[in-house]
Amino acid sequence: MNVRSRIAALGILAVAAAAALTGCSAAAQGSTSSAPASAAAKEPLTLYAAVAYDSMVSKAFTAKTGIPVKVVDDSTGPLLTKIAAEKNNPQWSLFWADGATAYASLDQQGLLAPFTPSASYDSVGQSVVPSDHSYTPTGVTLVPGLIYNSAKISAPTSYNDLLSSTFADKGGMNDPSQSGPTYPLIAGLMNQFGGEKNGVAKGEAYLTKLKANGIKVYPTNGDTLHALETGQIQYGLIQSSAALGEVLTAKTTATFKPKVVYLSKSTLLPANLAMSKSLDATQKAEAGKFIDFALSPEGQALMQKADPAGDSLFYPIVKGGTPLPGMTAFPTAYQTIDPKFWGPLQGQVTTWFDSTVK
Amino acid sequence: VTALTTLRDAATNMGLATRTTTGAAARLPRRRRRVSALTLFWIVVVAILILPIALFLAVAFSPALLDQGTQWFTVDAFSQALTGQLLVGVLHSLGVGLATAILSAAIGFALSWVVVRTNAPGRRLATGVVFALLLAPSYLIALGWERLLEPNGVLDVLGVPDSGLRAVIYGPVGIVLVLTMKGIPFAFLAISNAVRGLGHEFEDALRVHGGGRFAAMRLNVSMLAPAIWAALAIVFAESVSDFGVATTLANDSHFTVATYTLYTAVQAFPVNFPVASAVSWVLLVLVALALLAQGRALGGRSFRVLGGRSRPAVRRHLSPLGTAGSTALIVVVIVVGVGVPAFGAVSASLIGHLGSLGVHSLTLDNYARVISSPDLSQPLGFSAVLATITATITLAMATVCARLLSSRGDTLGGRVLDLVLLGAVALPGIVFAAGYIFAYNLPLTNTLGIHLYGTTTLLVLAYIATALPSTSRVLVGTMSQLQDSMTHASRVHGSGALRAWLTIVLPVVSRPLLSAWLLTFTATLLELPVSQLLAPAGTEPVSVGINVALGKYDFGGATAMEVLAILFALAVVAAGYALYRVAAPIGWRTIGKAR
Repeated sequence: MNVRSRIAALGILAVAAAAALTGCSAAAQGSTSSAPASAAAKEPLTLYAAVAYDSMVSKAFTAKTGIPVKVVDDSTGPLLTKIAAEKNNPQWSLFWADGATAYASLDQQGLLAPFTPSASYDSVGQSVVPSDHSYTPTGVTLVPGLIYNSAKISAPTSYNDLLSSTFADKGGMNDPSQSGPTYPLIAGLMNQFGGEKNGVAKGEAYLTKLKANGIKVYPTNGDTLHALETGQIQYGLIQSSAALGEVLTAKTTATFKPKVVYLSKSTLLPANLAMSKSLDATQKAEAGKFIDFALSPEGQALMQKADPAGDSLFYPIVKGGTPLPGMTAFPTAYQTIDPKFWGPLQGQVTTWFDSTVK
Repeated sequence: VTALTTLRDAATNMGLATRTTTGAAARLPRRRRRVSALTLFWIVVVAILILPIALFLAVAFSPALLDQGTQWFTVDAFSQALTGQLLVGVLHSLGVGLATAILSAAIGFALSWVVVRTNAPGRRLATGVVFALLLAPSYLIALGWERLLEPNGVLDVLGVPDSGLRAVIYGPVGIVLVLTMKGIPFAFLAISNAVRGLGHEFEDALRVHGGGRFAAMRLNVSMLAPAIWAALAIVFAESVSDFGVATTLANDSHFTVATYTLYTAVQAFPVNFPVASAVSWVLLVLVALALLAQGRALGGRSFRVLGGRSRPAVRRHLSPLGTAGSTALIVVVIVVGVGVPAFGAVSASLIGHLGSLGVHSLTLDNYARVISSPDLSQPLGFSAVLATITATITLAMATVCARLLSSRGDTLGGRVLDLVLLGAVALPGIVFAAGYIFAYNLPLTNTLGIHLYGTTTLLVLAYIATALPSTSRVLVGTMSQLQDSMTHASRVHGSGALRAWLTIVLPVVSRPLLSAWLLTFTATLLELPVSQLLAPAGTEPVSVGINVALGKYDFGGATAMEVLAILFALAVVAAGYALYRVAAPIGWRTIGKAR
């Protein structure tokens, strides 16, 4: 018993020592992440972000304003899990990710503070701004960007084309339960085929036919692109930025020449910034400055610079913005979907997709 | 039976009647303290294990408790979770878990025996392979197999007919295969430590009394029972809670497992924690069943075979047939667990346009970029420091846990600790981490001035809690073998408790402690789910860095980072064993060494 107690005491001593050690290192990190002199009176912001340009924009913002920003950079899924688990005591100030449905859900749970930015949006931008201003779009991508191997097939011209024998056993898409942009893609198809009233039934009918025509389902954008590169499929329905990135970076050969087209219609998938309702007045003002900075010409330029083969391939929606060179022209036929209507249907549609299409 | 009876007589004659020594221990005077060290140990266990798990499990019944719903008491989550799909998934998980546990324990036992007790060529390679398996995430092994066997995959391109093998691997057989590979390291470390502590005297006694080789092996297996059951339990729990295979191979082959339901609940908008919690209850029931089986198998028996009179084992010189068999075993594990996935990934990168995952990683530019860019190299340094701290503290705590778990007599404390430790393994990491947020981000704790959430301290505590169950299990086999008589002798001769432990117990358990430390270090270095949810803002553990790079399609950078992290971990393992060989006193190294 004594021996055991001693061992236990040693264990606890070790825990205490490590707690002290790591506490020190945490404190040290805290001091390094804050900005110099002028930041003394500013309250630090915590940005949860799943976009590739988050760090670059944050650093520039801190350099300009002196407001320290701590970035938690991860995929959308884990960040939403964190936000949900923190619900009774939110630790985040700003959340920046693709897709409006998650934001609509956070808004419905009363977690977002409204904000109206000073920048002016173009017509595309205005179409994705929520009426209650609970979140702020910073750019848009499209779903689906249809990427196809032009060395093997010619481009389809409509969604119905994909049901023809020409495209039988040639297509791939992502799994909505694993890939963030895929549920908005499916919801977009549903919205287009049957509106909010009959969309689910019409969309399910279309996807069932697509399945009968041999479409394959892969976990995420990267896996669908891998299937395209390896010739398992000849076209993929994915997010436009991933598709355009592949076109810009893939080595073309006689048998592999990827191109991107937008079918009528593609659905807008905005990247959004939202601020937490739990912020105090000072923090809210600072978070507002951050959003305004992201929408400023300087912020937009940084967003386009950070990841030129991926997330930077978005279409600007602030007046005066232009997309990066080499991107497929923005389609004339596009649509927006109401995230407050389609968001809550995600579980139902994903379960149906799991059992019927996958 | 005759052989065993004879053996018991022989053991009694050798002075190994452990009941007598235990009786003596009970009569030793005890000092009374107000708060014993053991109480403090339990407080730590409650803080880092029981509280987070309990709060997460409470959400299934009371979502309002943690702002996850409006109801204070409900069973809705269970009625939502307990669908036909989940029940099928539970049955599948049960089958997969059992098959994986038995296979891993069998292979782990065979490997341990070959490495510790035979002169098989390639036995030195086995330990390295075991750590390589430990480092490779299950999704990576599964993905390697998929790259090889998928339609238009490597084998198709090479013109090898693979449809038959594809049908087999894309299903329960493939899932069990991949999970078995992930289970082997735990089984091997748990069992090989115990094999080292098993002297040769029992086998000698049995053989002298006319027992054959088969009877000798049966005797050895029965005396190694605590380690073997520890291996079975830990591999079972790891398998039923696995996420990596659930989302890759199981998903692609439409073979539903229980964790998949949990995964969809956590991935939904809004995140459905009550349903995830209900599924966790189901996983806990599975683990409780495993513990029940273990309890029935080991109950009331003593396995204390490691004392002052233990005889060194004899390394067996294998016949040509034995050499061939043991070599085949090592080769199969290398090929299936490391070779095929590596071949799948690398060959995919060599065949033109067979996947961008490898194409980029073949140029050294990515490695140069990772090493030179602080954004990519800092995470490795950060994780290495945390893994070192975690491994050291976990080792101290796991030693206590293993001692408590292996103590004779079925105490309530021991049983609770057993359930908590295994339950922590059975809950997927993401659930465990969410429990940490529930427990340490309460407004109440903040009001009390405790701000642990979002600090490196809490991340380390969660790492410890994640590592503690498996590290304890790996040590249980060894701890079950220790006879108290040696320590008592030391105390009788005037040593204090600490001195007795350091001079008597430490030398005997030094090598198992080293392997347990290395196990914890390597497992923590690349830990993902807890790191994702608990890493403080502004810091990035290496696994999160890799994941973020993958999310941005920077496959080259991600692969380079992963390869560097794995090489670093293997270098630490090699350095650890080399240092032990050079620096540990010769007496320490002799224990468990076969002649």
